[in-house]
Amino acid sequence: MRSSTASRRYLYTGGILLSIVLAFFILGLFWTPYGINETDAASKFLAPCAEHIFGTDNLGRDVFSRCLVAARYTLLVSFTGVAYALVIGTLAGLIAGYNGGIIDKIIMIFSNGIMCFPGILLALVAVAVFGPSLFNVIWALGLVFAPTFARVYRTSTIELLGRDYILQAKLMGIHPLRIMFVHILPNLMSQVLPAVIIGLANMTLFESGMSYLGLGVQPPAASYGKMLSDAQSYMVSAPWLIIFPTLMRVCYILGLYFISEWVRTSVKGGSK
Amino acid sequence: MGSAVRTALIKLCEFLLTALLVSFFTFAAFAIIPGDTARVMLGPEASEEQVEALREELGLNEPLAERYFDWLGNAFRGDFGNSLSFGNPVGDLIASRLPVTLGMSLIALIFVVAVSFPMAAVCSRNPGSIKDKSLSTAGHILFAIPPFALSMMLILFFSKVLHIFTAGRYTAPSDNFGAYLVSLLLPSLCIALPKVAMTFKFLRASMIEFSQGDFVRTAKSHGLSDLRIMLKHIIPNSAVSSVTVISLVLSDIMGGSLIVEQVFNLPGLGRLLLSAISRRDFPLLSGIVFYLAMMTVLLYFLADVISAMIDPRIRDGRAA
Repeated sequence: MRSSTASRRYLYTGGILLSIVLAFFILGLFWTPYGINETDAASKFLAPCAEHIFGTDNLGRDVFSRCLVAARYTLLVSFTGVAYALVIGTLAGLIAGYNGGIIDKIIMIFSNGIMCFPGILLALVAVAVFGPSLFNVIWALGLVFAPTFARVYRTSTIELLGRDYILQAKLMGIHPLRIMFVHILPNLMSQVLPAVIIGLANMTLFESGMSYLGLGVQPPAASYGKMLSDAQSYMVSAPWLIIFPTLMRVCYILGLYFISEWVRTSVKGGSK
Repeated sequence: MGSAVRTALIKLCEFLLTALLVSFFTFAAFAIIPGDTARVMLGPEASEEQVEALREELGLNEPLAERYFDWLGNAFRGDFGNSLSFGNPVGDLIASRLPVTLGMSLIALIFVVAVSFPMAAVCSRNPGSIKDKSLSTAGHILFAIPPFALSMMLILFFSKVLHIFTAGRYTAPSDNFGAYLVSLLLPSLCIALPKVAMTFKFLRASMIEFSQGDFVRTAKSHGLSDLRIMLKHIIPNSAVSSVTVISLVLSDIMGGSLIVEQVFNLPGLGRLLLSAISRRDFPLLSGIVFYLAMMTVLLYFLADVISAMIDPRIRDGRAA
């Protein structure tokens, strides 16, 4: 991988932003200064100070502790959701692209059908039907994202099909499944990686939207979306309740974004 | 010409098939509710007679295929049955909430197009310049802020600092159209800004690609001005792909309005949807989902038709 100064700058910026989120996540696993649901009537609405560096909320809960713990749900939902979408998308895309014809048409019509539901809508339906839980949100969002990956895989598979080594493999009578997974799949990493990273960012946006509506991560767990919706009534008197959770989200998404730019520019040779 | 008709027919068939599939997904989602649907809707306190009556009313005792075709036939006539929590026909409820959601989506769309095209045009003229870099970075940051957080910040700024906006005040378009537009302006902006970032990024890449084309070099050597080259040569060429992106953005905009309505306390489809979810009002819920999904299918179809109309390669079926 050649990389230019510009693309290295993307890597550093993205790396720093993601390390902040990762540091929060790891720290939150082992230690928080206060319990996340530990209320304290004497210290409500404290502005950021030495004891509470991110301030406290309407119940006197420490915002810093809650931000530490919320990082794990952001990471959990985005990674498992994308992994789930990737598995379905990879299978559907490879099969559609490799076989073509009627199988391709059927898979593509199905994936178009799913794409016609605005993402958040499908997740809302899943929650309405199966009840609000983190698991339901994850699989519903995974389903929403699968067609995107299926498309990327399908297009790139079709491009690869004409290559000599694939033709040769076919002539040698190698099983189609082996061709798909051993000969085609590893060659598609560079096309799929940016889609995965952007998928992580989008997944986080949807998850926080669901949590904001009260249908995603359920209390007593802490999540950035829920923290923001709780803070809405106090945003004038206690703006820190909005600023810090938002900053955490921005850090994560911007970090992912810069990393995806780095992948894109360094794969291409780094001119754009 | 024959191939153009054939392309149009294929597109139409695909559209109808997708619409049918989407309707099936919507129906299936509410048919596979674990346990007894009527019992789930009424809750554990309801008596067995009440549950049986609701089952009868919703036609749950009939076979699944029959229920689907009944539901589909009624849905296409705009009849989704009666809402259980409001008592009114679902179609009327949706119609009464449409001005908010559609108005917001439309204003947001206009905003996305009006901002991202000039931004992309400026950036693509000198890729890598300070102007390009700062606009691109601004775009990244906008993309990273969730719409509801952006909404809160804008409410804070406009209502508490500038005192020119009150969140939650909504005027119906029939009362005062000007006030209606004003009340939707800020929420639309909140939906649009993250999408501006997305559209801009795409347009910028496609304009840079086209501005390196041979035809642009020829136009330059003929002494045409930069503005003229941009308007006559680069923008029309990137228009085809931008129609596709804009149709994708529109579906996101409708999804985004579901959440932003909640922040601004506007009586739109999103609020209706959420109350349907919390009251387990499945006829209302499936009506809204069907409506929104059908709108999206129609939008994608229109985008397909428009891009076929402006792109001769697709129009003649050469690249279809």
